[in-house]
Amino acid sequence: MPIVVGYVPSPEGRAALGRAIEEARLRGRRLVVVNASRGDALVDRRHASAGEWESVQQQLSDSGVEFEVTQQIEARDPGDQVLDVAQQTNAELIVIGLRRRTPVGKLIMGSQAQTILLEADCPVLAVKAATS
Amino acid sequence: MSTGKDTVVPSGTTGGPGASLPPVPPDRVPDATRDSTSKNYSEYGVAVLLLALGVWAITDAMSLTDLASSKGPVGAKTVPMLVGGLLVLMAILLAVDIARGGRGEQEGGEDVDLSHGSDWRTIGLLAGAFVANALLIERIGWPLSGAILFFGTTYALGSRHYVRNAIISLVMSVGSWYLFYAGLGIKLPVGLLKGIL
Amino acid sequence: MDGINSLIEGFGTALTPINLLYAFLGVLLGTAIGVLPGIGPAMTIALLLPLTYTLEPTQAFIMFAGIYYGGMYGGSTTSILLNTPGESASVITAIEGNLMAKKGRAAAALATAAIGSFIAGTIGTLGLALLAPVIVKLAVQMGAPDYFAVMVLAFIAVTTVLGSSKVRGLASLGIGLLIGLVGIDPTSGQQRLTLGIPELADGIDVVVVAVGLFAVGEALWVAAHLRRSPLEIVKFDGASMNRKDWSRSWKPWLRGTAIGFPFGAVPAGGAEIPTFLSYAMEKKLTKHPEEFGKGAIEGVAGPEATNNASAAGGLVPLLTLGIPTTATAAIMLGAFQSYGIQPGPRLLDTQPELVWGLIASLFIGNTILLALNLPLAGVWAKLLRIPRPYLYAGILFFASIGAYAANNSTFDLWLLIIIGALGFFMRRYGLPVVPAIIAIILGPVAEEQMRRALQISNGELSGLYNTAFSQVVYVVIALLLVVPPVVRAVRKRRGGDSDNGPHGLVVDDQPLHAHANQEGL
Repeated sequence: MPIVVGYVPSPEGRAALGRAIEEARLRGRRLVVVNASRGDALVDRRHASAGEWESVQQQLSDSGVEFEVTQQIEARDPGDQVLDVAQQTNAELIVIGLRRRTPVGKLIMGSQAQTILLEADCPVLAVKAATS
Repeated sequence: MSTGKDTVVPSGTTGGPGASLPPVPPDRVPDATRDSTSKNYSEYGVAVLLLALGVWAITDAMSLTDLASSKGPVGAKTVPMLVGGLLVLMAILLAVDIARGGRGEQEGGEDVDLSHGSDWRTIGLLAGAFVANALLIERIGWPLSGAILFFGTTYALGSRHYVRNAIISLVMSVGSWYLFYAGLGIKLPVGLLKGIL
Repeated sequence: MDGINSLIEGFGTALTPINLLYAFLGVLLGTAIGVLPGIGPAMTIALLLPLTYTLEPTQAFIMFAGIYYGGMYGGSTTSILLNTPGESASVITAIEGNLMAKKGRAAAALATAAIGSFIAGTIGTLGLALLAPVIVKLAVQMGAPDYFAVMVLAFIAVTTVLGSSKVRGLASLGIGLLIGLVGIDPTSGQQRLTLGIPELADGIDVVVVAVGLFAVGEALWVAAHLRRSPLEIVKFDGASMNRKDWSRSWKPWLRGTAIGFPFGAVPAGGAEIPTFLSYAMEKKLTKHPEEFGKGAIEGVAGPEATNNASAAGGLVPLLTLGIPTTATAAIMLGAFQSYGIQPGPRLLDTQPELVWGLIASLFIGNTILLALNLPLAGVWAKLLRIPRPYLYAGILFFASIGAYAANNSTFDLWLLIIIGALGFFMRRYGLPVVPAIIAIILGPVAEEQMRRALQISNGELSGLYNTAFSQVVYVVIALLLVVPPVVRAVRKRRGGDSDNGPHGLVVDDQPLHAHANQEGL
């Protein structure tokens, strides 16, 4: 029963990761970090670069929690990919980052957070970026 | 050859603690020019095509008649004959080159990944969208057939946001119809939406 | 100075608000599209050819000029930030430029590319303005045999100098000539290769050919081999250089201009070879040899200037002789033809407003380019996030409109599919596209010149080579055909290094897969 966190290289994503590490420590659970992207653009903000991915793993090692990382590029929505990992690992909790969206932006671009919130079988913890 | 699945890059499966799969390296310069022998035969197809085009040019040239007024060795037939001859000669030389192991070097590019073969399913779907537009444009008009083309293309290329894509497709096709009509004075077929637009 | 006076008048044409707007639009569109993956200047101009159905020629060409320069520059932005050279001309930029960016010097790399492009483009355009009247004076004395010889030179140069396989280059040339033959023979009025289809009697529309080969063929090819993995973009903020960068850049800019312009002006095609020469030269002359291969600013400044200077140089034969040396120039020639204008020595007399307005707008476009690119580099980088499905859907969408609008007939759409398929298979089997497009557009003109020469000589074949000029050109062609294989054979016998053709360029053990046929992406 691990904790799954959807990681995106952004303030929200980092906030989610930080909170997920705390939760993992608190609950004594394994942490699964997922960086999922569609890979349909030449440059994808969701995709963590090798350097960023390494620093995420450094942060995880330093935290001392048991963890797994997976970086996947599939022609599906990243939200669905996170849900799949949660289902496969029988996750206890999903942690995601949340950011403010306009209704139009959500209509056109969709919202990965919304997909996860509505369709997850387990509780979802949504974290906002620190407002500083 | 593609397996016809959308998922092309295998996803990293979760490993042990701390383990991770490295991100897929961008294969910008793959060495796909020396393929297995199975592709030999399709290389010969190029030579066959050149030969066919050359023979076509030559037979067509035969049917031309020289005008009485034309002077010297050069008449209506000459240039098509020369071009046909060039094509036939290149067909032969290309066949020799292939027999000796020469291969056409596939064209690379900034958005091209030659490490996997041609994805024929995508090509087929794209051709389908294209043909649909050609068949429908004069019946249902560009604002609809163009939208079908755009939507079909996004589908072929793996986008599955149907609502978003349908909206974008319609905006593109209706917008371009207006742009051509108002901006350039070119009236594309309006079809079913006659009276509405 | 003839050129200067005419140029000042040209500025009068180019500086009207509406023409300034077209120049601005062209530069904006050209840069945006140069940045977008998989779209280059040749494809852009092909997709915009439908504008020629209604736009005034002057305005259309002012816009195309902006696209021509803008596209060249946009390609270098992606090379530096992503290490993905879109055009063969930016292959060299990608090496040092991307290394600089990874060292945290992206701002300086972008700035030296932008300013170098501006300087080279301005000097190159000045060269064009000064050289064009001189060449025209010489060219008016050229007869039909001379023209025919120069066109043969263009055909041979583009097929043998570029690309790895001469057989495939010549095969592509043959296919292009064949497509150019379709239609009514201008001399005898008979139908050639029309299969009895009435739509083919007028020949295949240049829009359909250009869009088919460059937009549809390319989109199909890329779609079949779509890269699915995101690339890593280097983080950067803006584009700026410090004093040291300036002092290290200005000489490479000028040297690059000096190399690029003449190479662009001769029909041996494109910016690939001169950019490599510039890189090699800067490497030799630099005071910081240890930085080469690790991100040396000279290695960006020189080749980028060369690239733009050769783009300017390429306009010299296009405007004065009607001979294109690159795919982009060939499509621009096609645009001239669709206006019923045949570029050549008389163009400057018959259309002075058009030509000088075009040249003046090149200066203006270049300045707009600099003003846009220094502050907007970040905005351009955002374009790389557009999902590929929309990008390629857009290309096929606009290709279809353009082809249909050419004659308002679905026949052209079917033809577009056939030519698009041809473009796809040419890319698949390594047949370069550039010789084909040049042959399609230049072939019919060459045939006309040949027949004219033979008519003058009463049908004697000697009519093709009875002038001193044409004889010189044929000697050059012979050298072009004979020398490279001989050199290669000699080198092989000596057991020397690998064959250093344009395809095997090796810089510090980094193989440069510079695909000549990629110029027109």
